[in-house]
Amino acid sequence: QESVATPKRNIQLSNIVEECANGRRVSRVLELTPKKTQPDRAADDEPITPKRRGRPPSIAREQPVVLVDEEPKTPKRRGRPSSAGPSLSTPKSASKMKLIRSGAIKPNIHSRDAPVEDGANDLAIARERLHVSSIPTSLPCREKEFDEIYNFLESKIYDGCGGCMYVSGVPGTGKTATTTAVIRSLQQLSDDEEIPKFDYIEINGMRLTEPRQAYVHIYRQLTGKTLAWEQAYNLLDKRFTTKAPRRVTTVLLVDELDILCNRRQDVVYNLLNWPTLSTAQLIVVTIANTMDLPERLLMGKIASRLGLTRLTFQPYNFKQLQEIVMARLTGTSAFNSDAVQLVARKVAAVSGDARRALDICRRATELADDQSQKTNQEVTVSMVHVQQALAEMIASAKVQTIRSCSLMEQLFLQAVTAEVTRTGIEECNFLGVYAQFEALAAFSGITVPNTGRAMAICARLGASRLLICETGRNDIYQKILLNVSTDDVHYALQASKLL
Amino acid sequence: MPVLQSEVDTTRKFIKARLLKDRASFHGYETERQHIRDLLQRTAELGESNSVLLLGPRGCGKTTLITSVLAELLPQQTFHRNTLIVYLNGLIHTDDRQALKSATAQMNLENAVDGKVFGSFAENLAFLLECLKAGDRKKSKSVIFLLEEFDLFCSHHNQTLLYNLFDVAQSAQAPICVVGITARLDVIELLEKRVKSRFSHRQIFLFPPEDDFDGRVQLFADLLKLPTEQQLRRMDATYTPIPKEALHNDELVLVRNLFNPMHFYRFSPKWVTEWNRHIDALAKNQTVKTVLKNIYDYDALEGPFRMLLLELVNGLDEDRSVITVESIQELGRSYEADDKVALVAGLSVLEVCLLIAMKHHSEIYDRDPFNFEMILTRYGKFANSSSTMQNIERSVALKAFEHLKNLELIVPMTGVGGGSKVLKEYQLHRLLLTYGQISQAVLKMQFLPTEIKQWAQSSLI
Repeated sequence: QESVATPKRNIQLSNIVEECANGRRVSRVLELTPKKTQPDRAADDEPITPKRRGRPPSIAREQPVVLVDEEPKTPKRRGRPSSAGPSLSTPKSASKMKLIRSGAIKPNIHSRDAPVEDGANDLAIARERLHVSSIPTSLPCREKEFDEIYNFLESKIYDGCGGCMYVSGVPGTGKTATTTAVIRSLQQLSDDEEIPKFDYIEINGMRLTEPRQAYVHIYRQLTGKTLAWEQAYNLLDKRFTTKAPRRVTTVLLVDELDILCNRRQDVVYNLLNWPTLSTAQLIVVTIANTMDLPERLLMGKIASRLGLTRLTFQPYNFKQLQEIVMARLTGTSAFNSDAVQLVARKVAAVSGDARRALDICRRATELADDQSQKTNQEVTVSMVHVQQALAEMIASAKVQTIRSCSLMEQLFLQAVTAEVTRTGIEECNFLGVYAQFEALAAFSGITVPNTGRAMAICARLGASRLLICETGRNDIYQKILLNVSTDDVHYALQASKLL
Repeated sequence: MPVLQSEVDTTRKFIKARLLKDRASFHGYETERQHIRDLLQRTAELGESNSVLLLGPRGCGKTTLITSVLAELLPQQTFHRNTLIVYLNGLIHTDDRQALKSATAQMNLENAVDGKVFGSFAENLAFLLECLKAGDRKKSKSVIFLLEEFDLFCSHHNQTLLYNLFDVAQSAQAPICVVGITARLDVIELLEKRVKSRFSHRQIFLFPPEDDFDGRVQLFADLLKLPTEQQLRRMDATYTPIPKEALHNDELVLVRNLFNPMHFYRFSPKWVTEWNRHIDALAKNQTVKTVLKNIYDYDALEGPFRMLLLELVNGLDEDRSVITVESIQELGRSYEADDKVALVAGLSVLEVCLLIAMKHHSEIYDRDPFNFEMILTRYGKFANSSSTMQNIERSVALKAFEHLKNLELIVPMTGVGGGSKVLKEYQLHRLLLTYGQISQAVLKMQFLPTEIKQWAQSSLI
């Protein structure tokens, strides 16, 4: 080993000596010192790979000694330990960061004074169960999909080979919940030693700052250490490409696959290429929203590696949504069944998103709770509450916003609609609108604000996006677009004194 | 009446402090306030995760509402001991990197030392998520995220921060409540579909009351009146200061330095009755009402109105110990004044002549763009026949033209004929004034020679 290290050291040394001789900089000498002092301290509590422990410290230890001989500026070195002394926060935070990266510090959040007690109220229990986060042990209405993923994973784990699967569907249709439920039940089986053991890793595209961080996350879940992505990639590549006896199967769940696709698509390629290697024993389940993502976004070679094992989650229809909500409510009598049906029908007509249905139901329980507090008696959630919750969470508020505008703002909106009708084009010019504004104001007997003030009105309406305006730099030539329909404006201003 | 100087001073200070700093007391929007209060309280006490958007036009009191709710909840031990409040502002935290650093520091996580956060962006995100994941509903503190200027967070890359916050709120992790505050009504359409699905669709709209002029007059009186002894005593009884340990977060500036009427202000009862009677009389005065009505018709929101009152109160001193009808009228006049006309009225005669020439050009050619040569020719025709403006050199006129350009009364066109390659005499410009504004300014300039005034009326010479 020593013979390998020597030439490298010579090169480094000669560089430094040259720089110092020219008198250009001595800062390099300073930079070297932490290398000397830190590994000594950190080596005890931190497991470093043997490669690193072998060489670099020895170089670092020798270098300053050599330098001192050739360099007359000895005081620099003497001053060093004292200069490192006063700045206490750096070593503290640096060592802390090191501990975090090595996985020695467990991330945690501050704990509260006393643990939360569960509500005793029927409505409170219902509300807690209706929260999206409380996922039931068995997902209703997804039995078929569950079986399909289960069969796929179970057979792959049994055979000890690798494979890919692609799961798609619009948000809120139970993709991730079903997949994790499958894996949980498989883990249960492997704990009972009915199927072979396997590792489970999950990454989510949206939780990464860039696609390549996927390597870091995978590696961290395997070993607990945080490395730079290049290192993590090399180690992962080594792990999956080399043969190792007694390797267990790894199941990798990749959520939000479309975010991992950059222009080069190297990350997705690697993630889908590893399962094809016989040494890897990697099963990849990918989840995304669009059904035709492989054909639309991925390169041919990647789509080919993704294979044709695909599964699509359909949006829930109203019966399924009803069943989901009722399943969560078993045992409580907080809900009127008609009320649940109304929610299910309304949501199924818009998106078929289970999260939305649950959130609306939860809001309805809150409204019922308010009422029961007011009247001091038990209230079950009925149609009235659900209707109110639906109005709050689905309806848009444009009409009401127009109604609550000031008189001049309403007049200005009307001027914009008048200008749109006059010219026949959607986009109009501030000057034209101002002319209409003046005419309308004269008609209603109001003194019109000057252009500066009218522009301020325009900017205010633009800030709440009733209008879409250009920036103020264009002044009186700015283009204005109506962001609400003209019918909405007329409907809102019907009752107003302006007409 | 003899008035003590000190009384006027304290009155001015008191009202100014109330207009500027009184963010804790909040009127109106009872149901909306109750909704937010319940939500935050349930997050803190029951460990429920929620997300909510607070929407309303600028200046209607969104931030004030949140501040008042916090000022009410923070003194309770059950609240401030069980919650961490994280305040993020879209204008300050312009990307997810900064927002994450700030959030980590405010939550005082392990990788933050004395408010400094270490590690890269990716590490910070991973660490924050691990921390939240390690927590659970029953044991860990609730975190309240206040995202002001929420619409700006939507423009961050991939909406990573929003996705992760909403995702935590929808999964069994540490209890968090995400409160977004924005003026954009269509903000939900800015969210990506997976972020939108994770958002709970709770939107609380703050609409200013429709057509409520009496309410505005009432507000005028309320904001200017001084508290009587009795009211002060009642305020004292209900006022609970926010304890020091609840304010450990440096970034949460909202609830700092809240207005506290008890500490500094002492008035003699006689002065208070006198002052309040005077304000009541003002609120009933028809002239004052007209001014207020004009302001109300233009802008119905409370925030800008408070700023106007501030201007009114600023004028109080020993010579003018009370607010007079005249000062309110003056305020109304300055409120409606056209700043551009005032600007034009302050220009030199030559510059006004150029503006008049531009006006004639625009009238004739229906607001076609012009360059310096065109304007100079038009002006030259007038100057030759006029007796006062004859010997003005071309370079002087060009300087005047450039001065107008610097004042942004005219702007160069972008695109064809307006590029920087064109010589400045030939660069095309547009006039940023209406014809009415120019005529008004000409009328306002008393010293203008009659010839020029006549030329302004018609382009015929």
